[in-house]
Amino acid sequence: MDATTIFFYIFAAGAILSSVAVVVARIPLYSAIALILDFFFFAGLYVLLSAHFMAIIQILVYGGAIMVLFMFIIMLLNLREEHELITVRTHHAVAIILSMSLMVMMGTALNKIVDMNAVQAATVGTTEDTLVAVPSRVPGLYGALDEASLEQGFKSKVSKWSAGTAKSSDGKYRPVDPSAPTVVPTMLSGGTPEHPEPASFGTAEPMSLLLVNRFVVPFELTALMLLGAIVGAVVIAKKRL
Amino acid sequence: MITITHYLILAAITFFVGMAGVLVRRNAITVFMCIELMLNSVNLTFIAFSKYRIDLDGHVFAFFVMAVAAAEAAVGLALILHLFRHYRSVNVDSAHELRL
Repeated sequence: MDATTIFFYIFAAGAILSSVAVVVARIPLYSAIALILDFFFFAGLYVLLSAHFMAIIQILVYGGAIMVLFMFIIMLLNLREEHELITVRTHHAVAIILSMSLMVMMGTALNKIVDMNAVQAATVGTTEDTLVAVPSRVPGLYGALDEASLEQGFKSKVSKWSAGTAKSSDGKYRPVDPSAPTVVPTMLSGGTPEHPEPASFGTAEPMSLLLVNRFVVPFELTALMLLGAIVGAVVIAKKRL
Repeated sequence: MITITHYLILAAITFFVGMAGVLVRRNAITVFMCIELMLNSVNLTFIAFSKYRIDLDGHVFAFFVMAVAAAEAAVGLALILHLFRHYRSVNVDSAHELRL
């Protein structure tokens, strides 16, 4: 058992326990604190998935901004302890049975995405930095991937596209034109004299380059949406609607 | 060896814990926090697929989901504040008439 496995099980147990605590806590403030804890466990899981940028954003946006808003409203309304969970009504039982059965259904379906036995068989005797593609229902899905092979796979994808030898199917990673006078910083800048090394997977650099290149329109629309949300929140929360 | 299936099943468990909370709880703020829980577990699915396909699109999508969750929290909490001023309670059963 390596460190990643141990940390995965620690974070997973913490995430499940704290999300159950969010649901069963009787005082809303305790629910909010459990939710903050839950967000931190999720951030840990994101780090295990090499999503370093998303882990930081998770803590800043969810654990910081959104939960401050929740705590502020809870304290502003000064809600007392409620006794709704003590009286088990019929629809509680129905809701719990419904969600548990859906969970079992989804779990059995997800269990078939990657064939565990194929992963075990494919990883036997391979070296550390070997990508192991296993038969799965999702095209292009790797069954087992460690940090080194993830980095290697990402860099080889980036360098292939930047050399123009292989174009991605939807053309989302444009090959860098060497004759162009100004080199637009794309994710493919690895290989040019200015950027000898491509950026690592999941760090801020490739994320920001994607956000201002391919996803620039939704990124700017997000700003408009946040403006609308701010104005809407102020208008709705006014004393006289 | 941790595979993508581990992450997907963890996301399913937390999603349905959040769903049970939405269905069971009557406190509007707790219901709202359970919705955040469900959004978060969907984000975990996006990021897990992103890693195991070596493709950053899932990270970008999770980023936009977080922006939507922030906007939704601001507007939703303003609505809850208004609900509390009107009914002196945040019980969702008190607001079943669809009028002020």
